[in-house]
Amino acid sequence: MAHAADAAPPPIPADGAAPHATAASEAAQVAVPTGRPGSNINYDLFLDCVHCGLCTAACPTYLELGNENDSPRGRIYLMRAVTDGRLELTHDVRRHLELCLDCRACETACPSGVQYGRLIEPFRVAMESQGEEERKSADWFHRLILFGLFTQPNRLRKWLAPARVAQRLGLVTLAEKTRLTRLLPPRLRQLVEMLPPPRRSGPKLPPILPAIGKRRARVALFTGCVADVMFRPTHWATARVLQANGCDVLVPQGQACCGAIHFHAGSSEPARELADANVAAFDYRNVDAVIVNVAGCGAMMKDYGHHWQDEWQPDRADFAAKVKDVSEFLDSLGFIPPEGEIPLVATYHDACHLAHAQRVREAPRRLLASVPGLKLVELPETEVCCGAAGTYNLTEQEMAARLARRKLDNILKTGSRAVLTGNAGCLLQIMREARRRGERLWVAHPMDLLNLSYQGKQPPV
Amino acid sequence: MTVATTPLPLSETFAPPSPSELAELVAEGCRTGMAMYPMGGGTSISNGLVPKRSGWGVSLANLKRTIDYPARDMTITVEAGVTMAALADQLAREGQRLPVDAPQAADATLGGVIATATSGPRRYGCGTIRDYVIGITAIDGRGTLFHGGGRVVKNVAGYDFCKLLTGSRGSLGVIAQVTLKLRPLVETTALVACELTDFDQAETLLAALVRSKTTPAAIELLAGAAWADDPVLGPTSAATKARLVVGLEGTAAEIDWMTSTLAGEWRELGVQKSHTINGAAADRLWSRLVEFPAAGEPPLAIKASVLPSAVTRFVVTALELAPGCSVQSHAGSGIVLVRVGEFTAADALRLLIAGLQPAAVKAGGSASVLSCPAGTELTHQAVWGPVRPEAAVMRAVKQQLDPAGLLNPGLASFDLR
Amino acid sequence: MIATRLLPLADELRAVVGTDGVLTAHSDLLVYECDGFVIEKNCPDIAVFPRTTEHVQAIVRLANEYDVPFLPRGAGTSLAGGCLPVGGGVMIVLVRMKQILEINLRDRYAVVEPGVVNVWLTQALKGTGYHYAPDPSSQGACTIGGNVATNSGGPHTLKYGVTVNHVLGVEAVMADGSIVEFGGPAEDPAGLDLTGLLVGSEGTLAVVTKAWVRLTRDPQGWRTMLGIFESVADATNAISAIIGAGIVPAALEMMDQGILVAVEAAFHFGFPLDAQAILLIEVDGLEAGLDRQRDRIIALCKENHAREVRLAASAAERQLLWKCRKQAFGAVGRLSPSYCTQDGVVPRTKLPHILARITEIGQKHGIRIVNVFHAGDGNIHPILLFDERDREQIARVLAASGEILDECIACGGSVTGEHGIGVEKIEFMHKLFTPADLDVMGRVRTAFNPHGRLSPAKMLPTAGACGLEQKHPGRRAAL
Repeated sequence: MAHAADAAPPPIPADGAAPHATAASEAAQVAVPTGRPGSNINYDLFLDCVHCGLCTAACPTYLELGNENDSPRGRIYLMRAVTDGRLELTHDVRRHLELCLDCRACETACPSGVQYGRLIEPFRVAMESQGEEERKSADWFHRLILFGLFTQPNRLRKWLAPARVAQRLGLVTLAEKTRLTRLLPPRLRQLVEMLPPPRRSGPKLPPILPAIGKRRARVALFTGCVADVMFRPTHWATARVLQANGCDVLVPQGQACCGAIHFHAGSSEPARELADANVAAFDYRNVDAVIVNVAGCGAMMKDYGHHWQDEWQPDRADFAAKVKDVSEFLDSLGFIPPEGEIPLVATYHDACHLAHAQRVREAPRRLLASVPGLKLVELPETEVCCGAAGTYNLTEQEMAARLARRKLDNILKTGSRAVLTGNAGCLLQIMREARRRGERLWVAHPMDLLNLSYQGKQPPV
Repeated sequence: MTVATTPLPLSETFAPPSPSELAELVAEGCRTGMAMYPMGGGTSISNGLVPKRSGWGVSLANLKRTIDYPARDMTITVEAGVTMAALADQLAREGQRLPVDAPQAADATLGGVIATATSGPRRYGCGTIRDYVIGITAIDGRGTLFHGGGRVVKNVAGYDFCKLLTGSRGSLGVIAQVTLKLRPLVETTALVACELTDFDQAETLLAALVRSKTTPAAIELLAGAAWADDPVLGPTSAATKARLVVGLEGTAAEIDWMTSTLAGEWRELGVQKSHTINGAAADRLWSRLVEFPAAGEPPLAIKASVLPSAVTRFVVTALELAPGCSVQSHAGSGIVLVRVGEFTAADALRLLIAGLQPAAVKAGGSASVLSCPAGTELTHQAVWGPVRPEAAVMRAVKQQLDPAGLLNPGLASFDLR
Repeated sequence: MIATRLLPLADELRAVVGTDGVLTAHSDLLVYECDGFVIEKNCPDIAVFPRTTEHVQAIVRLANEYDVPFLPRGAGTSLAGGCLPVGGGVMIVLVRMKQILEINLRDRYAVVEPGVVNVWLTQALKGTGYHYAPDPSSQGACTIGGNVATNSGGPHTLKYGVTVNHVLGVEAVMADGSIVEFGGPAEDPAGLDLTGLLVGSEGTLAVVTKAWVRLTRDPQGWRTMLGIFESVADATNAISAIIGAGIVPAALEMMDQGILVAVEAAFHFGFPLDAQAILLIEVDGLEAGLDRQRDRIIALCKENHAREVRLAASAAERQLLWKCRKQAFGAVGRLSPSYCTQDGVVPRTKLPHILARITEIGQKHGIRIVNVFHAGDGNIHPILLFDERDREQIARVLAASGEILDECIACGGSVTGEHGIGVEKIEFMHKLFTPADLDVMGRVRTAFNPHGRLSPAKMLPTAGACGLEQKHPGRRAAL
């Protein structure tokens, strides 16, 4: 795994001692299963599932396919059967598990408190260690593009530069229209098509943005990898909304990708290294919160304390305890409502990693409800995944496209001209689907809209 | 109407004193291949079909005991020969009721009401007898005494014989004993009535009632001579086409709120005048609404079940096809009752086969004859309308429970022998 | 592994529904070996996913041609093994038939395919002033086809009735493959009420492919109360008092102290953990009458020594209370690794007696039992806590379950109020019904399903079921 070497600096323990990289990777090595896939999972977690089936209708892939093997109950049954030795980890079994979006809608639906994420994620790690041909890290797309490029902001920016130029010149649209992008390998084509329309990205965020008015909190902002490149204006908006709410906003340099892309693809070790890089980069003990505005990253970072059991686990757990989604934080801080009127009918899409993984549902709605003139209408099936699911829309294109269609259909049913959602992947996915179908729809982060209201400006619709 | 005027070709009539003796009687009939005609109060026996086979009358007259009435459970287990009036009296003493309307309640028996699925105006708010039978004991065409359901209000063990026997017209078994779910008596009732000068207005008001804030117990559309002379309904003018009557049940406060709310809703729809009927007048009107299909001289009474949205159209058709007829519709439920006064057998056949039956099918439902004066014989098609494909399944069920076809032969809609 | 003789059947089925609509691999079929009832398991040979009634018809004809058993399945949430494919064969999974075909407010009905999830219909009706009344606790996942098969209930069926009271008609594929409609949007169809018979027949008479269901007007208002009691006996006496006073609550549910602890841990409602029982009481209807009903209920609770009666202050609080109640079973997972939910019914006045007996039976067998149930209907759901890895405990749980259900029968009740007989309770049919009753049920089944290929060995303890025990010696052993 070539990318691991230059991925991030090794973690620096709080006491300033030299990092024990070898010890850490040895500890992680213990977690990698040696026996049957699933033998690394606490078996009691399987027993929490009483097979009632209440999760099925919450699962996007089951809603689309109706095959129970593509439902949470079915996947748990498959994982348990493989663990028990009743089934072999065949290609078919793998496919059902790979098709999982990891959206966690099932955890919301489950009355028994089954921790599905704690089953599927380590099981995927175990799958990754089995069968050379089927490993994701053996696949060029994962190796080069997802792991090598996506998680490296600088590389991604460079790589995107020609694509951006092409976009500005209208070449991408032309290529899309003339189907020239079809010459690209399908997953790469998907990636090109995902690019949001160019907008002025603004300068890099400075290390400190001071509170406006009375200082109420001191927070550190996580800017991530993909989002930093594609969503810098949203980071600016987030920082400005925090400032307007009396927060000093620190933007630590040297922060890394959250590691979710690796971890969800079953690459535990590189994910741990990225996590440790973040723990090292943030002075988390001296801020009130580590603010994340991308739900997928936030969910991953809130779980830093659970994923790896080694000597740095307590530090990761302390760090994780400080991680807050921006809307969650502002809502609990006591939100200072903006005053700029925005007469707009909009709907809110619950990003899976916000609603299900972080259980943040009401906070963003409450913040948005405070915007004068904004009419927020409920989105049918708001908690059904849009198909973005991290890099899912690049790896499972057919299902991702079906879910994007379903999502946009529901959005259009509301008659809204704007859709707001707190996750980068969802934003890209919905934008692309709207573009594909020629629908004029403003797709934005709640912070974008709040910022406009603070600034007394109007959205582009 | 009493048993004495039955059109049934009875050689003898028996009235066994217990369910087990009833079972023995049916078994005996079975051994001798005797047709058997179960009889309650005889109020629904004449519907124009005259059976060919002579046989025994099997009367439930001696089966009217109360087996168990745990009033605080709000259930009662009684023998099927109890009359609806006697049952109502008994329940009222505990502040309870079976909210199922049956005409001629002093004669009509519970078993008969179940076998014929008799209903009335309150079906809109309270449901039908099907919703209240929770346990049933019957004797099938082989003399087997069997039961279904139980004595508790919620029960899904085994096939639901309560539903199977409700409306089966004695074709599968003789109902001997029944357990009912009960409701509390209501505190008070009222009816709100208005005059309609055209049928478009009728449909407008009926459609609006679907969205009314009130919760009617009955929605009745009345037309024809029978309703012209009732002072309670108000004076009739030349312009009167029909009347709409909404029955309300509840506490005094609920009734007050609903009567004024409904009057308000109607005013907004252009109804100039509506009036509320309370007290003894309300009781009299309820009674008329229940008794309509059976009142007075034995009429030709037809019941159509159509889509609620097709009621008005069907009523207009009926008034055109049979000038001089009177019509009552439980309009919220899509039931239309048509009473025809003067007619010959040929008139009746033509009216049914060429008129009301096809009109009912067109309106999304079906029609059947409720009662027909003795002496007028109708055909199976006239009484029941066209035979539908599911009748084959019904015959297969009958074949299993009454393999020799001894129970009410030829009388059920699906029974073509 | 699929039997060689069934390979051509699988091919023919693929020709009907397409290759993505037929499962034959062992790994794909494993999850279909059981539903919410996990004590008995058996894989189907083939699972097939029709999208139309004609698909179902073709599947049924093929199954007959190949002489294999077949049965329908919805979401597989049965708690009685209603979807267990006894003897294998073809499982007809109806979840791809999931269209709401029509909503007609003027005539107050909707037409749905069997795979429509219960709550979807109510969601689709949001804002119309109407809803679909049956609300089983599993309504977020269970299908209306499954509700029809088992005549499902739910908390609000106390006032509004169970599924059969809301089904106007069905379209069904008969055991021979013919398509027949029973009933329809108009009430009172001529002839036998076979719709009423099919509802609750647990898939043993026909495969329902469409249903006409009645829509119910939304109530104008609610009053939702929480009665807190120092003893179970006080709470059950209050139930009798409320029902006996002629009040028909929309719902009347009880939770005992054991379940309260679990629910509080899961949802943090603020239940008093030292209370021995709470009643969740809801009345609905016209605002004009609600306060008086509320006051009478509060007075009746107080007369029966309620420590306190709380009123849900807002719609959100009401929703949370119902969430606590509907997801209570799941919260039990916090008390023990496994549990077994029973589904008995007793006359409402026998509730104090049956609950005392349940406590005794639990003590006798050393099994902890907690209770959450539809008190207003007398429909009890004792939950027996155990660890499925302990075979000896399982034996005690089954013995205790059996004694509880026997006691329900002795009280004049039933062994199932809403879950159905399935395979779980077949042995109780002999106790509940006479041989003559069962003979007539068998005859009705024969009228619809003469060859017995449709859902064999379900619901009725026929000769087929006895044969089953011999064919599957593991069946008793598994218990």
